Parts: sequence; C-alpha cells; structure tokens
Amino acid sequence: MSKDWKKIARASGLTIPDAALERIAQSLDALEADFRPLVRALPPESEPAVAFHADALPAEWEDAE
Amino acid sequence: MTLLEAAAALRRREVSSAELTAAALHRIERLNPSTNAMQTVMAEAARERAKLADEELARGEGRGPLHGIPIAVKDLFYTKGVRTTGGSKLFESHVPDHDATVVEWLRGGGAVLVGKTGMHELAYGITSSNPHFGAVRNPWDRDRIPGGSSGGSGAAVAAGMVAMAMGSDTGGSIRVPAAYCGVVGLKPTYGRVSRYGAMPLAFSLDHMGPLTRSVRDAGAVLNVIGGYDPRDETSSRRAAENYVPDLAPSLRGVRIGLPENFYFERLDPDVDAAVRAAFHSAEARGAEIVPLPVPEIAAINTVARLILMAEASALHERHLEQRDLFGADVLALLDQGRLLPATDYINAQRLRRGMQREFARLWKRVDCLFTPTTPITAPRIGETAATICGLDEDVRLATTRLVRAINALGLPAVSIPCGADRRGLPVGLQIVGPPFAEALILRVAQALVPAEVPVPRL
Repeated sequence: MSKDWKKIARASGLTIPDAALERIAQSLDALEADFRPLVRALPPESEPAVAFHADALPAEWEDAE
Repeated sequence: MTLLEAAAALRRREVSSAELTAAALHRIERLNPSTNAMQTVMAEAARERAKLADEELARGEGRGPLHGIPIAVKDLFYTKGVRTTGGSKLFESHVPDHDATVVEWLRGGGAVLVGKTGMHELAYGITSSNPHFGAVRNPWDRDRIPGGSSGGSGAAVAAGMVAMAMGSDTGGSIRVPAAYCGVVGLKPTYGRVSRYGAMPLAFSLDHMGPLTRSVRDAGAVLNVIGGYDPRDETSSRRAAENYVPDLAPSLRGVRIGLPENFYFERLDPDVDAAVRAAFHSAEARGAEIVPLPVPEIAAINTVARLILMAEASALHERHLEQRDLFGADVLALLDQGRLLPATDYINAQRLRRGMQREFARLWKRVDCLFTPTTPITAPRIGETAATICGLDEDVRLATTRLVRAINALGLPAVSIPCGADRRGLPVGLQIVGPPFAEALILRVAQALVPAEVPVPRL
C-alpha cells in the first residue's frame, strides 16, 4: 500500500506545495517498494554503518580549547 | 601533454610554469564560451603563482610533480578569497576564508590553480545543466551533457584546458563525467582523501578525486592529496603509498572479476562490446578473467539512494524555505529526502553494513572487478529518458545505475576510456577494487589505456 505523502508532509509541518508532492510521489513510492522488502529481511543484530565514538572529538574543537 | 609530461618538461627547463599557465588560460578563453567548463577563471592569481613557481624551480626548490602545473578544482572546494558556489544560487556570493584540505595540499605541492569548474547544482545530479550558471557542454559533442556532477572538471580536462581537475563523487560524480568525456576519473576509497572544506552533499557517501588524461597523472595527484587529515573525522590513518603505476605494467597474476549478473544487463550494445573488449585486452596482458556472481547491486543502489536523500535533505533543510533559489530537479530530490522517516535512514545504514560484509567476500576470489561505468554514452542536453534495449529509463537513474553502489561500499574505483560508440562518443570502463587498493586498480588501468587518452579536436 503506498503512503499518503501529502498527509505525511502536513503532519511533519513541511511546507511542500501539493503540486510538488504530486510530482515526487511516484518516485517515493518506487523507492518505498524497493526498500521495504530489504528492511523486512534485516537481521536484528545488524548494526548501522554510522558509528559514534565517545572518545573522538574533531581536531578543530581541540584546537579551539 | 599530460601532467607528468609537463612536469618533466618543466624540470628540463624546456618550458616554464608561466608558459604552461598562459597556454591554459588561452585555451580556457578560446573554449570556455562553447563548453562552460570553467565557472571562475583566476587568471591574475594563476600568473602570479606561476611566476613564483618558476622562481622556486630556478632556485632548485622543486616541490614535486605538480609544481608549476596549471590545474582546476570543482567549484565546491573551498578556495581562500575566491568565490565557492557549489553550483548553487544559495552560495553565489560565498567567499571562504580558508582552503579545503585538497586545495591546500595541491597548492603546497606547487600546483597553479587557474580556475573553478562548473558543476551540477549542489553536486546533486548528473547532467551539470546548471539553472543558475548555465549548462556545461561535452567537448566531444556540445549538444550533449558532460555528465555530472563534476561535469566542468570532465569537460575542462577533455578540452585540454588543464591536465587535471578535481571532482567529487557521491553517486558517480567523478566516474560519470570521466566516462562521458573520455578521460580518467579516480574515486579513491572513502577516507583516503580528506573531505574537509569540500561542500558536502552526503557526509557518508562523498569522495574526492582527480580527473586526468592519463592514469599515471591520477596516481601522481593521489600521491599529493591522499593521506590522513585530522580535520576530516572519517579520514583514514592508513599509510598512503606510491600510486603512480609503471609505464607498461604486467597484469600477470591479476584476477579480474567478470560480473555474471546486473552489470551487463540492459546496456547500449556499443557499450557492451567496448567493455567486453577490455576483458580480452586484459587477458592478453596476462590477467585471469574470473566470471562470478556479484551481490544484489540493485539493493545496494536503493540503500545508497535513501542514504543520499536523507543526508542531503538534512544538510539543506534550513535553506528549503527559499524554494525559488533551487533548480526544479534538485528541489524535487530535497523534498523527497524530507519525507523519509529517521527509521528508514538507520535501517539503510544497517543494510549497508551487511552489504559491505557480503561484498568483501568477493575479494577472496578476485583482485578487482571490471564493469561498464555507464550503460549509455553521453545523452543530449535536456534528454530525460534513454531507451536501452527497447526500454525507457530515466537518464539520471540509468547514468548512476552502475556506479552508485560503489559509494555506499566506499570502495576505490577508476573510470577509464575503453573505446567509442557508433557516434564516436567515449565509453567508460569502471575498475573497482577492495578498500585502499588504489595502486592496484591504477596499475590495471595503466595496462589498458594509452599514455594519454584520445581527446577531441577543438
């Protein structure tokens, strides 16, 4: 079932004109159709590729101190 | 003349940096009106820098192969005191107070920056038909796109304005213009080249690399721009090496993967023939061709697109109330990214990790993979659909179909010219390697292309 992108936009407080939403809906639906089955097959132990390192600070922050 | 040939001529005092720079500026003046490859020309600063380079060389203070060589960078690399727009109306008056690391290191190597190249708006597209600064045109056929988003860099190098121009690649933006313009385009491993001071599009997918007319030139540039930079949190501490391959390397013992699925489905027949011929050339030079299945590239493409949309929209969200400052295609992509839930982004990053692991198994069987860079040659400006094997496909999706996944995997890849289609337009071969195998893929590339790639007569 495709998502109602207009409702999602309004609920998120996004000021995207209806005409623009209509133009991108097909593309979003296609992405959704490709992506959702991949997520369903995702094992629970999979960690994201984005990692936070508690002991790492950007060099320019250290310079500023 | 290639970058390394010019460097050798400089060392032999057969030519001066001032002469090379004057020649580059003359060619830009002559060819930029018809190609729009250069967005900003830094003539005066370049002449002054060239004069200094000549003085240093005369004193025996050579800084390496880039010393005194005219170069250009895509207009998203910060250049101190010189406007850096990212191809966007939002930044049309933006003048950075510092250089990007890549620019700083290139200047430190003695390169003479002659200009900043045109690009797709915000690096978010593959045509380089910029609504604010005009369409960049392909030197092989000026009615066609040069590819993008580093289209100006590809066009400037193919047109002989400069021997090297820097590009960035988030979903193919170095390799696509390299393929469409018939030059060499190197996307190094994620973390090999600093992203600091390059306007981001998607933090976890952006890569910086050179476009050149020879493989050895690409290696020489990577020797200068590759290495650890503490200002980029994702910069790798892994030691850089010498990336310039021998003049005529052997491929004996190199195992080249021939994908059995995905990469050779739905190709223009001329592209298919040219790329398959490259396998024969490699085999003739001693390589072993290993047919093998590759992981689900379409799935990796989906994940890469979702990550790109989410990261790009997060980055530009604060500007999105000023809708009239964006081109229609970029605005549509940024709108899409705002509608994706955070859970999708996290799940895409989880999928990415699994796909990385799965792809890594490939490197036990082969040393590198050959694929076409793009399934088609350069489309006409304004063309939105391409017919491939009787099926219509969106030009942007078709153009990025074979390159996008490599960004999500962070792998090094180089696009080299490997022939031409029936209209004489260049065809690109993509060589993909394991993480940090830039030296290997450049060695393989060097074995397959002439010392200087063919360029159009202009």
